[in-house]
Amino acid sequence: MDFRFDIIKEYAPFFLQGVLLTIGLSIIAIIAGSILGLAIGLGKMSTKRFVRLPLEWYINFFRGTPLLVQMLLVHLGLMPLLFSQPSATVSLAVSLSLNSAAYVAEIFRAGIQSIDKGQMEAARSLGMTHTQAMRYVILPQALKRMIPPFTNEFIVLIKDSSLGAVIAAPELMYWGKAAQGQYYRVWEPYLTVAFIYLLLTLSLSKLLHYLERKYSNQ
Amino acid sequence: MIKVTNLKKSFGDLQVLKGIDAHIQEREMVVIIGPSGSGKSTFLRCLNLLEDFDDGDIIINGFHLKDKNTDINKVREEVGMVFQRFNLFPHMTVLDNITLAPVKVRKWPIEKAKEKAMELLKKVGLQDKANIYPDSLSGGQAQRVAIARALAMEPKVMLFDEPTSALDPEMVGEVLAVMKQLANEGMTMVVVTHEMGFAREVGDRVIFMDGGYIVEEGTPSEIFDNPKHERTKSFLSKVL
Repeated sequence: MDFRFDIIKEYAPFFLQGVLLTIGLSIIAIIAGSILGLAIGLGKMSTKRFVRLPLEWYINFFRGTPLLVQMLLVHLGLMPLLFSQPSATVSLAVSLSLNSAAYVAEIFRAGIQSIDKGQMEAARSLGMTHTQAMRYVILPQALKRMIPPFTNEFIVLIKDSSLGAVIAAPELMYWGKAAQGQYYRVWEPYLTVAFIYLLLTLSLSKLLHYLERKYSNQ
Repeated sequence: MIKVTNLKKSFGDLQVLKGIDAHIQEREMVVIIGPSGSGKSTFLRCLNLLEDFDDGDIIINGFHLKDKNTDINKVREEVGMVFQRFNLFPHMTVLDNITLAPVKVRKWPIEKAKEKAMELLKKVGLQDKANIYPDSLSGGQAQRVAIARALAMEPKVMLFDEPTSALDPEMVGEVLAVMKQLANEGMTMVVVTHEMGFAREVGDRVIFMDGGYIVEEGTPSEIFDNPKHERTKSFLSKVL
């Protein structure tokens, strides 16, 4: 079997565009998902039922249904209500953020609850408010423990962004499909795409592993 | 300084405090003793609302803890607490452990907080440990740092919840020595402990609790040499 490098070469600029979008989308979704996830995670630990219950169902929904379904609901259902010309890229960013927020919320909750109760008590006994205790005492310790599950979640998120191809968001996988469609060749575009995803996820996991080592020395 | 009236507290169906009345004077050193499960730790933890209580009232430094308008953080600024398991913040150096609350809560400038922290570390004999992490401290050292951390807020009252129970025997003495010094300086202290020798030597007053009640209270010699109640006698015969 001959391997047609010329197809890869021809599509190289598109793969580059695609990978930049994939990286950008992932960063946006990681940031938005983490902020939203922190809020949801903290809210879910609330003693007030009317705060806790909706957040529990948020998490149930986004963890319990396929991302593909969520993305189609956002792109074909929610976005047309808000914008006259919905952008697939925006829909993908929104659905990835909402989805990862649910997972991140659980990571935050588990991380925070893994910190010994005595830490909160000691901080409160010194006159700190709950927020101060969280910010200066609990979260810095919990974040360290959250790095491994975060690594996992962010890797999944990068890979999941490939679902954007279904709604024609021009990320990496979209261009892989385009090349496949043009030349009816499977190996060249998809192996290239797979290789690039692998590069992305491996670099991310190396980076977070480095952070984990750095902070565990303290 | 602290006035407790008819304090009641339950965990679910289990009532652990069944009506406690106590009055603690300024500069007084009160030791609470009693068998485990007698409610003594719960009582102590109610004094700074680490445990909420169901009934009765506590007045501390003029604050009514039952009053919903009382800012509990303000109350706690004046009430230091030392825990059985130290609860130092492991991600901060010893110095940062001590300066955190004065800087964030009292809004002191960092230099002032550091100065105060070094002064306190010197007092507990650990000025050379300022820049290390709590991990590398022995139990006795960790507890002395915890005492310094509580003192850094310049509290009016100090609560000690079995401060030597998690320590190896050879380290108990160094912690008790710091507490004794504190008592001699006139700090108002409430100490839950199993160290009867310490209670007798340093305490102004001893409270014996059992089954969620204060069974008996008095000077150390009244309680230890001449206990009136059967339960006090039987408890003391087991621990002395």
